[in-house]
Amino acid sequence: MSGSGERAPLRVEGLSLLTSRDILLDRLSFAVEPGEVLALSGGAGAGKTLLLRALAGLAPKGVTVLGDIRIQGRRILVTQDGALDPLRPLGAQFTDLLAHQSGLDERTALRRAAEALERFQVPAAARRLALHPHELGEAMRWRAALALAMAAQPALLLADAPAAALDPTQRVRLLNDLAAWTREAGTALLLAGRPQPDPVHSGLADRRLILAQGRLEAPEEEPTPAPSPVEPAPSGPPILSVRDLRVAFPLGRSWRGEERWLTVVDGLSIALAEGETLALLGETGSGKSVLARAILRLVPPVGGQVSWLGTDLAAAPPEAMRRARRDLQILFPDPLAAFDPLMTIGAQLAETLESLRPTRSAADQAAWLAEALEEVGLPSAVLDLYPGSLRPAEAARAGLARALLPEPRLLVCDEPAAMLDGAERGDFLALLRAIRRRRRLALLYATQDAAEGLGVARRALVLLLGRIVEAADSAVLAAGARHPYSRALIAAARLARPALHGDPPSPLRPPTGCALRLRCPLAHDGCAQVPPSLDTVAPGHRVACHVAHDDAQDGAQVGGRAP
Amino acid sequence: MHEPAGTDSRTDPHWRDGPWQKAGQRLTAHRPAAAGLTVLAALMLAVAAGLVTGGGPVGAALAAGHQSLTFALLAGLGGAALGLLWGGAAVALGERAERAMMAPAIALTGLPLALVLPLAGGLLGPGRGLAPMAVVTALIAAPAVAVVARDELRALLRREFLSAAQAAGLTGGRRLRRHTLPNVILPLAAAAWTALPRALMAESLASLLGLGLPEGVTGWGTAIGAAARTGDAMALAGPALLLALTLWALHGVGDGMRLAFSTTGGRR
Repeated sequence: MSGSGERAPLRVEGLSLLTSRDILLDRLSFAVEPGEVLALSGGAGAGKTLLLRALAGLAPKGVTVLGDIRIQGRRILVTQDGALDPLRPLGAQFTDLLAHQSGLDERTALRRAAEALERFQVPAAARRLALHPHELGEAMRWRAALALAMAAQPALLLADAPAAALDPTQRVRLLNDLAAWTREAGTALLLAGRPQPDPVHSGLADRRLILAQGRLEAPEEEPTPAPSPVEPAPSGPPILSVRDLRVAFPLGRSWRGEERWLTVVDGLSIALAEGETLALLGETGSGKSVLARAILRLVPPVGGQVSWLGTDLAAAPPEAMRRARRDLQILFPDPLAAFDPLMTIGAQLAETLESLRPTRSAADQAAWLAEALEEVGLPSAVLDLYPGSLRPAEAARAGLARALLPEPRLLVCDEPAAMLDGAERGDFLALLRAIRRRRRLALLYATQDAAEGLGVARRALVLLLGRIVEAADSAVLAAGARHPYSRALIAAARLARPALHGDPPSPLRPPTGCALRLRCPLAHDGCAQVPPSLDTVAPGHRVACHVAHDDAQDGAQVGGRAP
Repeated sequence: MHEPAGTDSRTDPHWRDGPWQKAGQRLTAHRPAAAGLTVLAALMLAVAAGLVTGGGPVGAALAAGHQSLTFALLAGLGGAALGLLWGGAAVALGERAERAMMAPAIALTGLPLALVLPLAGGLLGPGRGLAPMAVVTALIAAPAVAVVARDELRALLRREFLSAAQAAGLTGGRRLRRHTLPNVILPLAAAAWTALPRALMAESLASLLGLGLPEGVTGWGTAIGAAARTGDAMALAGPALLLALTLWALHGVGDGMRLAFSTTGGRR
């Protein structure tokens, strides 16, 4: 908050936002220098969006703005939805803005628009200018919105959680490109977003402010997460074995009368020993979530086999299936939605208990429920609440309590912390890890955050379009993933720029050969011919990549470096 | 749900309320719905009082309202039941049956079905009874209810707590009884409500043309039609105003119910 004085594009002193009831933001003071990237972190509801709107002069009605906002030069706010005019082609939106802001004629404006899109590696940028926003994918729309904002050469760019809904590899690459551009152009960038991971660490941002309860806090030195104690590799026969599992959904018939299927999980095999932890890493459409549900038979597979303790679950009679459900429990990505809104938490926990452990007496049961809540750190008063009264963090813990009630042996987690932010997320994951160790649970942990998955589990599988592309111990993957997609996921988790370009292919029309080849920086002609097979490159390390195989045969070390 | 920054949902005095209370609060928080409910209640009382005291143009309008509202209620309930059955059966019978059953319903909602009632009135002739007219009105109101009911049921069946109940080992029957049915009541009530204004509208239009309620039964539409033919402005104003007010109230409550109860988010 020092600063070289007058030329800072944004200088805020004693900014407070008040309603008649509440103080929303309390005496904020900061400045952003030209070419500086300032990350504004804070959990949900911390007031990030409100602050950005106030800085853009768009404070909502009924909010009083006190204090001093000094802005030198042009400011542009990119809102959370990255709004573009839906009725007009991109080119027209660029020419309008540039003509209005800089007085450029149409040809110059269009040329600058194409250049701006090319900064974000949009292929055939000039042709895309004829398209309407709805003809672009989500990622492309974000590139266009940010390119539009930057083409106007603002002195200050306010970006409110840009591209938050995109997959990590796309989002992080976009943010890195944006930061590189603003630094080069001398634009001050205020980047609001989720608190983790620290964007300063990876060089994405120069400085970081944390907004909590309406006040700015100096970022604390983040405690490096304690390395999980090295556990001996669980041995023994697998308790869960998944063989060649296929899940597909019918899409109706094509005009030629052929059945069309959307294949989500394509011939996956997994084996899990007692107490073993396995992460499923992958982004949207990788099939990790459907795989997790197919194992519990919440989604019917079309082929393959899931056996629990040697029993094939597809052929299991109801009584055996119920015994298996006792052992196999799941955490859902939205814990609140996983509770029936019309029943109290207590009634739903009791229902689970009655269904899976029916032998207990009523008094026994009440004590059991209270104990389960205590284990996850919730007061027993939560039993009388309806799900609608719970906060997301409480719902996540209640969901964990429900899953632990029948004393399972395997816990399947489908992004269980997806709804949590910051400290709440860290606390929940620490709790999950502690309970897993104490109960010696086997864990299947599906997530798109590679750092989280590798931290929780001892082994990891990287999934792409329903197939395994890399399988190894977490430590091996973190230190030296071989597959370009694994490396991109791990880079994105650190907010480093992933080396994958373009957008993921549609699962309805996967590319021939390797599923990644259209985004892969290492792809060669051979990648289009045949899908790579999952081959062992080192003991316990399997990779499905033509390039990695060649490298392995040449003895070259590819390592974790991003090309 | 966007809450203003810095406020905690727990400062809300109603945060502990059960889901049914909260649904009620959401409904009455929608102003047209609250006003509509008040108007409907007042109208019911006025109609009941008008039947007792009677007399005068106001009494006549209220008496006509009794006929209109009774007919709309019966025919509307019939239409709602038919629509719910239609949508429910479509979802229950599996994907192929659903497509076959819902295609005609979707096609019918696009047609000006209200014109079918005067047509039926004309075809049935002056000696038509109340019952056939009520059946035709119910048939007119049903397709729209069926389409909404199907969407609501589909949205409900995708919800995560049903997967959670399955993971808890609940059998299909218990899941249906304990979780699906209770959760479907309010969204389906919102869907069913739309049949009431539709029935009232269709009946009034047909009666206005003299092709609706049979002779001897005077509804608002009949009264408006008669007053328009004789050019009696005073006699026209009462039923016309009451009809407009009732339709507005019914739609207001319907909107509020959709916004407050619908699983599909009321974005329709």
